[in-house]
Amino acid sequence: MRVVLAEDLYLLRDGLSRMLTAHGFDVVAAVETGPELLEALLGMRPDVAVVDVRLPPTQTDEGLQAALAARREVPGMPVLVLSQHVEQLYARELLADGTGGVGYLLKDRVFNAEQFIDAVRRVAGGGMAMDPDVIAKLLARSSRDAPMTRLTPREREVLELMAEGRSNSAIGQRLFLSESAVGKHTASIFGKLDLTQSDDDNRRVLAVLAYLNGM
Amino acid sequence: MTTKGVRGSAVALVRGLALAGLGLAGVVSLALHLAFLVPGFGLGLIFLLPLPILAGRPLTNLVRRLTGAWSGLPVATPYRPRPPAPVPDADGRYPHVNRLYRRPWFPAFMTQLDWLLGDPASYRDLGWMIVNPLLGVPLAGLPAALVGAGGWYAVSQAGRHWWAVPVGVAAALAGLAVAPALVALHARWTRLLLRPPSPGPVGRVRRWYARQLLLLVRLLALLGLSLLALPLAMVSVVGLLAYGLGLVVVLPPLIENFRWLPELRRTLAGRWSGIDVPSPYLSRDEVPHRRPDGRYQVGSALYRTERWAAYNLRLRRLTRDRATWRDFLWLLVDPIVGGLSLGATLAAIGYGLFGLLVPGLSVLAGVRSDGGTDWYGAVAGSTVAAIPVGLALAVLGLVAAPVVLRGNGRWTALLLAPTARAQLALRVQRLTETRSDATDTQAAELRRIERDLHDGAQARLVAMGINLGNIEHLLDRDPQAARALLAQAREASAKALTELRDLVRGIHPPVLAERGLVDAVRALALDIPLRTEVTVALAGRPEAPVESAAYFAVSELLTNAVKHARATRATVALSYAGGRLRIVVTDDGRGGAEPARGSGLRGLERRLGTFDGVVEMSSPPGGPTTVILEVPCALFSPRTSIS
Repeated sequence: MRVVLAEDLYLLRDGLSRMLTAHGFDVVAAVETGPELLEALLGMRPDVAVVDVRLPPTQTDEGLQAALAARREVPGMPVLVLSQHVEQLYARELLADGTGGVGYLLKDRVFNAEQFIDAVRRVAGGGMAMDPDVIAKLLARSSRDAPMTRLTPREREVLELMAEGRSNSAIGQRLFLSESAVGKHTASIFGKLDLTQSDDDNRRVLAVLAYLNGM
Repeated sequence: MTTKGVRGSAVALVRGLALAGLGLAGVVSLALHLAFLVPGFGLGLIFLLPLPILAGRPLTNLVRRLTGAWSGLPVATPYRPRPPAPVPDADGRYPHVNRLYRRPWFPAFMTQLDWLLGDPASYRDLGWMIVNPLLGVPLAGLPAALVGAGGWYAVSQAGRHWWAVPVGVAAALAGLAVAPALVALHARWTRLLLRPPSPGPVGRVRRWYARQLLLLVRLLALLGLSLLALPLAMVSVVGLLAYGLGLVVVLPPLIENFRWLPELRRTLAGRWSGIDVPSPYLSRDEVPHRRPDGRYQVGSALYRTERWAAYNLRLRRLTRDRATWRDFLWLLVDPIVGGLSLGATLAAIGYGLFGLLVPGLSVLAGVRSDGGTDWYGAVAGSTVAAIPVGLALAVLGLVAAPVVLRGNGRWTALLLAPTARAQLALRVQRLTETRSDATDTQAAELRRIERDLHDGAQARLVAMGINLGNIEHLLDRDPQAARALLAQAREASAKALTELRDLVRGIHPPVLAERGLVDAVRALALDIPLRTEVTVALAGRPEAPVESAAYFAVSELLTNAVKHARATRATVALSYAGGRLRIVVTDDGRGGAEPARGSGLRGLERRLGTFDGVVEMSSPPGGPTTVILEVPCALFSPRTSIS
C-alpha cells in the first residue's frame, strides 16, 4: 500500500516511516511542508496519507488545510491526520464532506503500533478512525442533545466505538456482544438517525456526523 | 345591627382614626422633606438629600402594612433593595463608577444617593405626603369626626334644643355605620398612591413631563453647586493668604477637602451632560527619601522627621498639580459663568410661568389683583400682553434647558478636565500600573509553568529513565518482569504527554495558535459543557497578545458561567467597531456576580488592562449575566484561508 507521510520533525518522520515500512507499507513520499504535501498528494495519489496538522511554513494548520484541499480535489482520498491535541472543530471539518477515508488521532496513538497500523488500514479502506478523546468529549456534551436522547445507553456505546472506526466484530469484542447483536444495534442507530443509505461504511461516517451536528 | 357588626364598626372607627393620624404625620414628614430637599437641591447641599427620604420610609411602610393587615388589600413594598456597602479592592481603595477613592464614605454616599433618588418609590412616597392629607385624611377621619362631633353636640346642646340628642346620636351612629366602608375606601386610595406601578408602557406625555422635570431639577442642582463654589472660593483665598503669611499647615487639607466639589461636578458632567471629564489629580505621593545622615530630603530641603518630609511632599504634590490651580480658578469663575447661564434659564422658565402668566391669567379669569403694584406680570402696561411674552419666555427656557445642561458640561470640562500634560502624567501612571500588573501576571504564570513541569512531566521522564535502566538490567535475567516494566514506562510517557498537552493548552491553546481567536472561541464553545452560540463579525485578526488575552477572558467567563452561575446556555458575540474589539458574553445563569468581589473578574480586568481594555458587567440577581469586554486594537487582514 502506498503511503505519503507529512511530518516536520525529523525524528518522528523517520520513526513513522520505519514503522510503516515494517508493517508492509510503501512510503512513496515523506515530506515536511504543506505545499510539498499537497503536491505529493495530488501527484502521487497514494492509497493513504498520514499527515501532521501543524506543518511549515506557517506552523499553523497547514497539514490539515492541505489534506482538506486534496480531498476537495480528489473526493474520498484517504487521510489520517495526526496531532498533538485533538479538537472537535478539526474533527468536524474532516468529516464534513460525509465521505469516508478519514482519521484524526492523537500522536500518542503511535505508541501502540498495532492499533495505529490498524487505524491506517481502516482509513485506507475508506473507513474511519476517530480518536477516543474526541469521542469522549462529544459524548460528554451531546448527552442532552435531541437526536442522541433517542438512543439507548447500549446504542450510545456502540455508536461511540463506531465513531472510533471499529468494525462490528471489533465492537462486539469490546462490548462482549455477538457480531449479529452489534449489527442489530447499528441498524437501530441508523434507523433512529434517519440514515437510509445502502453503503454501510458511509453510513457509519454519517452517523458520526449526525452525532457531531446533533447539538 | 348585630353585636359583631357594632364591634366591627367600632374597630373600623379606631383604625380610621389611626390612619388619619398617620396621614397627618405625613404632613410633618413632608415639612421635613421640604426643609431638607429645598436647600439640598437648590443650594447643592446634596448631603442633606438622603436624610428625610430615609426617615420618611418607615412611615409610608407602616401605612402600607396597616392597609394590608386591616383591609386585606396588600400593598407591596416598592423600594429597590439597598445597595451593598463599598468593598475595597486589593489596594484598599474603593471603586465607584470609574474612579477609586481612598475612603469609603464618598462612594457609599453617592451609591446611597443614586439608590434613593433613582427609586421611583421615593417620589411615590412624596406624592402620598402631598396628596393624602387632601383626601385620605378626611376619608379615614370622617367616621371618628362624626362620632366625636355628634357626641359633643348631644352633650353640649342637650339642655337647649330638644332635637340635640337625637341629631347627635344619629350623627354618631352614621359615623359608626360608614366607618367600615370608608376605611375600605381609604385602603383603595392608599393602594393607588403607594403601590409599585404595574409594569407596562408609560404614557408619552408622562415621560415627556418627567424628562422636563428631571432636567429642571438637574439645572437647579447645578445652580446650587455653582453658588456653593463661592464660599469655597472665598475660604480658598483666605487659605492662600494664610499660606502667604507662613501658615503652611492649612493648605494641603484645604485643597484636598475642597476637591469633592470639582469631583462631583466632573461626575455630574459625565452623567447628566454626557461629557466625560476624567479626574486630573496626581494621585500618589512618593516615599520620602532618607539620606545617609538620617535626614529626609524633599527637593532641596532637609527634614529631621519622616512626618514632616511626607507632609512637605504632599504639599509639593498638591501645589505642583496644575489641577489644583485650575480647580481654584474654576471655583472663582463658576459662580459667575455657571450661575448666570443656569440662573437665566431657570429664571426664564420660572418667571415666564408664574411672574408673567399667572397675573395675566387671573385678569383673564376675572380676578382683580388689588395689590396695585404691577412690578411683574405686565408688559407695556398691559397684563394681558404679558401672557404671550411669559409663554415665550417659558418655552425659550425649556428649549434652552438641554443646551444649557450640555453647555455646563462643556464648561466644566474646559477647566476641570485634565490638561494635555496632566493626561500624559495620568497615562504614565496608568501604564506604570498596568505594566507592573502585566509583569506580575507574567512572572506568576512562569512560576506556575515551571512548577508544573518540575512536578509533572520532568519527574515522569526521570522515572521513565530509571525504569528503562531497570529494564536493561532485567532484559536477560527476567524478560517477564522487564516486559511489565516496559508497559509501565510506556504508560508514564503517555501521562507525561497528557500533562504537557494540558500545560500547552494553558499557555497558548493550539487552536488559537493555528487558527486565531474566532476558531479558538468556537473550539472552546464546543468543549465547554454548555450550549454556546458564537456569532462573529470580525474582518481580520487582532495582534496575537490581544487575541490571547481575549481568548482567556472568554474562557474564564464561560467557565464561570458553568461553575458559578449554573447556566444552561451562553452566547459569545465578537465584533469590531471604532478601533475596538468588542466581545459580549451572556449566560442565562442565576446572576448576582459581583465584579468587585470575584477575584477572577479582577484578574480579567487586569489582564485586559494591559491593553487598555475595559470590562463591563451586568449581573442582576436571578440573571442574566452579561459581560462586555472591549479592547482597543488594530485588525490585520486574515490570511487567505479555507472555510
